[in-house]
Amino acid sequence: MKKRSHKRKQSSEVNLGFQIAPMIDVVFVILLYFMVMAGDIQIENAHNTKLPGTTESTDQPVNLPDEIAIRIEDDGQVYLNDDPLDSPENAKLPELAGSLNQLRESSDASKSTVLVTIYANELAKYQRVIEVLDALTRAKISNVTFQAGSPD
Amino acid sequence: MAGGGGGGDGEPEFQIAPMIDVLLVLLVFFVMITSAEVLKVDKKLTLPVSPNAKERDKDMAKHEFAVNLRWDKDTNKGVLVIDDDIKQNWDDVLPFLQEKKKADKKLRVVVRADGNVPAGEIQRIMNFIGMAGIDDISFAASNK
Repeated sequence: MKKRSHKRKQSSEVNLGFQIAPMIDVVFVILLYFMVMAGDIQIENAHNTKLPGTTESTDQPVNLPDEIAIRIEDDGQVYLNDDPLDSPENAKLPELAGSLNQLRESSDASKSTVLVTIYANELAKYQRVIEVLDALTRAKISNVTFQAGSPD
Repeated sequence: MAGGGGGGDGEPEFQIAPMIDVLLVLLVFFVMITSAEVLKVDKKLTLPVSPNAKERDKDMAKHEFAVNLRWDKDTNKGVLVIDDDIKQNWDDVLPFLQEKKKADKKLRVVVRADGNVPAGEIQRIMNFIGMAGIDDISFAASNK
């Protein structure tokens, strides 16, 4: 009698059935991992633009756009047509975005387009240039060109 | 359902199969959103932050070509990296970009530069891109 039960135990040990409980444990752990990771993901976005001087010319008369110059100094101070706006520490540039939005609205009203030229100083940080592009996106201005050095 | 066993007025039984279905769907969802959106990061490069930048155009994905610009803290200059290869001489990039443009007329160059890189260095690489006859350019930025 004893011998038989021992035999049965051995056979049940050999027969490894599919265990649902540990599988759910593992799936839960993986799920938790991805849920936590999902909150922290960085998405790579982009600001698209066209380089000046490379677009195809047409015979159609072209309305000259309203030109706006944005200057970025080495310390991050931003000037809109020589008027300083926002502090160099302010990454969101609310004054710049607001002014640009007004300019865009007035241009839309007069059925012309706005062309913004960014003059970034040699040592200005690229992060600041992107912040200006971000403000331009908020103001819904897509006509942007770049120029090295100061406007003078 | 077979194996339900309860029947009648008995307590509702916990069903394992639908729970696994739901779990797997959730798992696949989170795997997809994390793996699809994670940056193909050059670890030595911190992209500038721009919450309002547009999502990358998926139709243009096959026409995109990345130019990485790391920041060298000591010299305050950009280090140009293309296809994991550091380009010491930036002039070598011009024929390379011209070849790329010849092969793909719709080529878009994605400038992936560190946020600390001076703007002058961005202008330098933009000059090369322009000289290669490429007009479509985009500046990569991180959402946060």
